[in-house]
Amino acid sequence: MSGSHPLVEISMGIEAFASEWLHCDRISSYLARMVSHNRTDSLLYANLLSSALNELLETAFAHHGPQGDFSCRISRAGEADVIELDLPCDEGAMAFYSEASRRLKRPDVADLYQSALFAPGGVDPHLGLLEVAVDYRARISIVTEGGNRLKLAAEIALEGAAA
Amino acid sequence: MTIDRSYQASFNENNQEFVISGKLRPRSEDEIKPLHDALSAALAQVRGTFYLNVKRLARLNNVAFRVIAGLVSQVSGKRTDLRIEVITSSVMGWSTRKFLPLARRLPNVTVNEYDKDFYPGQSFLEDGGFIPILRNQTRLTWRHERKLLARHGLAPGMSMADICCGIGDFAVLVQKEFKPANILALDHSRTSLDYARKVAADFAIADIEYVYGDASEMVIEDNQFDFVTCRHSLQIFDRPELILKELFRICKPGGRVYITNEKNSHCLGEPRGESIQWTYTEVAKLFADFRMDVELGPKSRRYLADAGFEDIRVDSFMVTNLDGDPQDFADMIQAWENVYAGEMARDRGDTPEFIERFRRGFQDHIYAALHPKGYAGWPIWAASARKPA
Repeated sequence: MSGSHPLVEISMGIEAFASEWLHCDRISSYLARMVSHNRTDSLLYANLLSSALNELLETAFAHHGPQGDFSCRISRAGEADVIELDLPCDEGAMAFYSEASRRLKRPDVADLYQSALFAPGGVDPHLGLLEVAVDYRARISIVTEGGNRLKLAAEIALEGAAA
Repeated sequence: MTIDRSYQASFNENNQEFVISGKLRPRSEDEIKPLHDALSAALAQVRGTFYLNVKRLARLNNVAFRVIAGLVSQVSGKRTDLRIEVITSSVMGWSTRKFLPLARRLPNVTVNEYDKDFYPGQSFLEDGGFIPILRNQTRLTWRHERKLLARHGLAPGMSMADICCGIGDFAVLVQKEFKPANILALDHSRTSLDYARKVAADFAIADIEYVYGDASEMVIEDNQFDFVTCRHSLQIFDRPELILKELFRICKPGGRVYITNEKNSHCLGEPRGESIQWTYTEVAKLFADFRMDVELGPKSRRYLADAGFEDIRVDSFMVTNLDGDPQDFADMIQAWENVYAGEMARDRGDTPEFIERFRRGFQDHIYAALHPKGYAGWPIWAASARKPA
């Protein structure tokens, strides 16, 4: 995203990331705490940011290509923080994110989120992204790179919500 | 695969309250089947109102939310006579908005944001009008505490937390005098924190983080700080042992926790000593009626020992009208009178006659403080102890 400056980045092979579910929680908790220290209320901010970041990481954990580098970067753009996940994608993952992108652009995205939140059966795989977009009012962009990589970015302004 | 069991769940049948705390981010519903079964069993046996307490649940993903929401929806639909109250906390930030959609969908489910219940009488202290009292008090006690803090273990370069930091002035004074590496200052009053942040911004003070939180269950990792302070605060909680447990938890092994408290009935002055003594004995009773123990000071040793600390050190000092400008002391007493007699006694329903006599003791204390041959005192107990390594 333009106008932002990087704060912290963590990278590893996607296989390493996807080998352990707890990575989502550990990475989201750690990075959120790291970047929140100079926010108005660092603990509250970190708690909110961790929740949003964890949903994005859980989505990436479930939907990615089999091999390649994975990175999670957080940059600051004034009041907002920008989370960028860079991950390898195969055909199935591309199809998933393509559908996600379509849903996120719909004008009734808030209704979609509510429906997914309480839908019977298994968890809707798009629920995390919908939540971040609706509940955290994030601007989410999904961009493919070269047909086998994808960048998922979420710009989130939590400062007011956390003060 | 590692399964994270960092949540706790318990059901109290007496008050029909199911408490979930810690962190709930499972990969699958199966991982939290014990929680599902326990909540399901609890819901099956309650009548009237069921309390689902998630105020100390720090993390929750959608997998876990749907398990909880699914059970609540299922029972809510079948048993329209049952009221389900979800108790959330403003400290966590996310929990109220996460559970509100559930209340919007289900007519017999409500969401209430807890925070006041644990702080009886705290509204008196959280009111912005209390800021002048706190500021003046810190100025008066600092003359004594700055001489004591090194003996209690505070040294440059330490990582420090000031819990129940109020308006943050103690943290600022410590930073200037003792140069800790950093200070995390936590309080439950947004008014006080706003003031603290404004002061920090005005004076370009860095390295102090002012954060909103509940001292009885902080969103802070274990073993974080070399020196943890909690001043004049255990005495205004009805369950100080819960706060001490948390102070112990966030303190590093080998680090120290430092607390100060009063024994209000021992405030003294001459002349007019009798009237002064009567009023401060009544102050202690008044606070007790609001479930606060302003007589806690000499009990510090016991509380620290019971919390598992070692190497306990206790000092006491008397803030007096001779410490500096007697008017500062007098101003503090006037502020006490305004809140204790003007608000708390009135709210307790005391008679005008009682309040008049109650006020007279404060005025006599001011008289003693400003009298050219008078003496007025306010005793404080400062205690610290080490967390076993």
